[in-house]
Amino acid sequence: MSAARDMLCATARAVFADAATAGMGPIEGAGFGLLLVAEDQDGFGGDWGDVNAVLQIAGVMVPDLAVAELIAGQALQPAATVSLMAGAMGQALALSIEHVNMRQQFGRPLGKFQAVQQSLAVMACEVRAVEAAAAALAARLDAVNLDPLAADFEIAAAKLRANRAVGVVTAIAHQVHGAIGFTKDYDLHRVTIPLMRWRGAHGNDTYWAQRLGRQAAGFGGRGLWAMMTERSDVHRRAE
Amino acid sequence: MQGFALYPFDPPGDIAALRADLRRWLADNQPRGDVVARANCWASFDPDFSRALGAAGYIGMTLPARYGGGDRHPLERYVVIEELLAAGAPVGAHWIADRQTGPLILRYGSEDQRQRYLPGIAAGELYACIGLSEPGAGSDLAAVRTTARETAEGWRINGQKIWTTGAHFSHIMLALVRSEEDSERNAGLSQLLIDLDTPGITVHPIIDMAGHHDFNEVFFDDVLVPNGALVGERGQGWKQVTAELGLERSGPERYLSSHALLVALVDAAGPDPDGEMATLIGELAAEMWTLRQLSMSTAAKLAAGDDPMVEASVVKELGNAFEQDMPRRVQAIVDCGWDDPDDLAKLLRALLVASPSFSLRGGTREVIRGIIARGLGLR
Repeated sequence: MSAARDMLCATARAVFADAATAGMGPIEGAGFGLLLVAEDQDGFGGDWGDVNAVLQIAGVMVPDLAVAELIAGQALQPAATVSLMAGAMGQALALSIEHVNMRQQFGRPLGKFQAVQQSLAVMACEVRAVEAAAAALAARLDAVNLDPLAADFEIAAAKLRANRAVGVVTAIAHQVHGAIGFTKDYDLHRVTIPLMRWRGAHGNDTYWAQRLGRQAAGFGGRGLWAMMTERSDVHRRAE
Repeated sequence: MQGFALYPFDPPGDIAALRADLRRWLADNQPRGDVVARANCWASFDPDFSRALGAAGYIGMTLPARYGGGDRHPLERYVVIEELLAAGAPVGAHWIADRQTGPLILRYGSEDQRQRYLPGIAAGELYACIGLSEPGAGSDLAAVRTTARETAEGWRINGQKIWTTGAHFSHIMLALVRSEEDSERNAGLSQLLIDLDTPGITVHPIIDMAGHHDFNEVFFDDVLVPNGALVGERGQGWKQVTAELGLERSGPERYLSSHALLVALVDAAGPDPDGEMATLIGELAAEMWTLRQLSMSTAAKLAAGDDPMVEASVVKELGNAFEQDMPRRVQAIVDCGWDDPDDLAKLLRALLVASPSFSLRGGTREVIRGIIARGLGLR
């Protein structure tokens, strides 16, 4: 990650920490609404890679605030939601790992039991898949200057993949936490409830699957692969 | 494993042109065999195709030119491999030699071994198998008991390997053997490069449930190979094999070997599928796109010289699940008989029968999940 993006993320963490109690004020005041605005128009001049990084942090720290709406327009909300989801899933995984390494039963940490290890491995694969989808979508959006139509395949694929991960990630996170994860006091619900909400927001599974499926069918069997490679080769040239 | 980022997949040169050249070449060199050979195509053995592919410069691409290689970047090779798999090309004969034995010989082998084996590998004429599993050492690979004792004449090998893919057509085996007397577990192991025409070696076929002859039992009865057969450092076999498995697990074959079925499904669905069919195609396309991103990122990490063991395991785990799920879900919504003669039915039958092996070969699902758990800090 670039130094500029590192600094942006550090700022986001500090500002979101205030916003967690104060609401949108600190976020608006810090100028996050200008993240995608060009520098010559007094904006930050950021790209979708920056948005992806900031929204992953927002997905962990302020999942109930309208940060995505502040940064991006309506047509990019499905893409923004993928980033929020990637962040929240990463946090659900981090909390789960921390919990099973600390909580002892039968004389050893839960994380030493193979059944628990296998569950968390399944969960980690889903989280990595969504993080990869969010990053690849960002690369595509930046290659096509944030034109949502030119990134329609990637938006559909990434949102669908993120939606499909929600069930597995939330179920395993809660299962390995046991009763403590079901309490109001413990932090897990701060990411799992937003994940449940985001699955249905800006297009549920069937919406994106049918859209993507019809698009793929239009390319034909061989054409699907040709299209997929052409799109990624193009954004490599653009980099 | 926290903080996973995509490694940028950034091969040198004009990748679109590399792809276009290979697609033209494939159109001119249509492989023999029916549609079923295009599924699970890295198990399809066609030495004529391998030789032609080697002559065209598409095998041993990353090996140095002085050993007959192409001096190309590993990510250029990646592009070629994903194109071959997506096209269902019969790459099984040279697959293991090109993917792992060649690179391993280059990295750990002696100058003599490099000169002796690499040109044949790059030509698509010299085939290799991997001697890892034994009757008592499957998932528990450190239980290997085949012994090699160093004598004045060379290494003397006794023991047995099993589930050895391609041993019946391969020229060489890269075997993991116990070279140190009274050693235990993953200490005292070494890798030997064994010419399979050496006296004392017997290869027995094992026919799989699809009726195919892919794997074998290989017996070593007082087999004598030269001292120069040792690859890399004596006693460091475990470390070398672990590195080799990274090459084995991360490639695009872990999500693209059933691509022929997706092609047939999309073609059968036509340009205006109903809702249920569109949903299935959409979900499969989204998973394939995501797996491709993960696989490319893992390849980029490997090419950058970093160890992608955990990432490679994620690709294998998700890729295996995708490829096992696909034929089941296709069968659930497509009405076709078990013995129907059309392409979709033939591919479906072949992949339903082949797919149990996907989460066994190259490390079982349980072992792979264990590696991921270790990467998470749980073991």
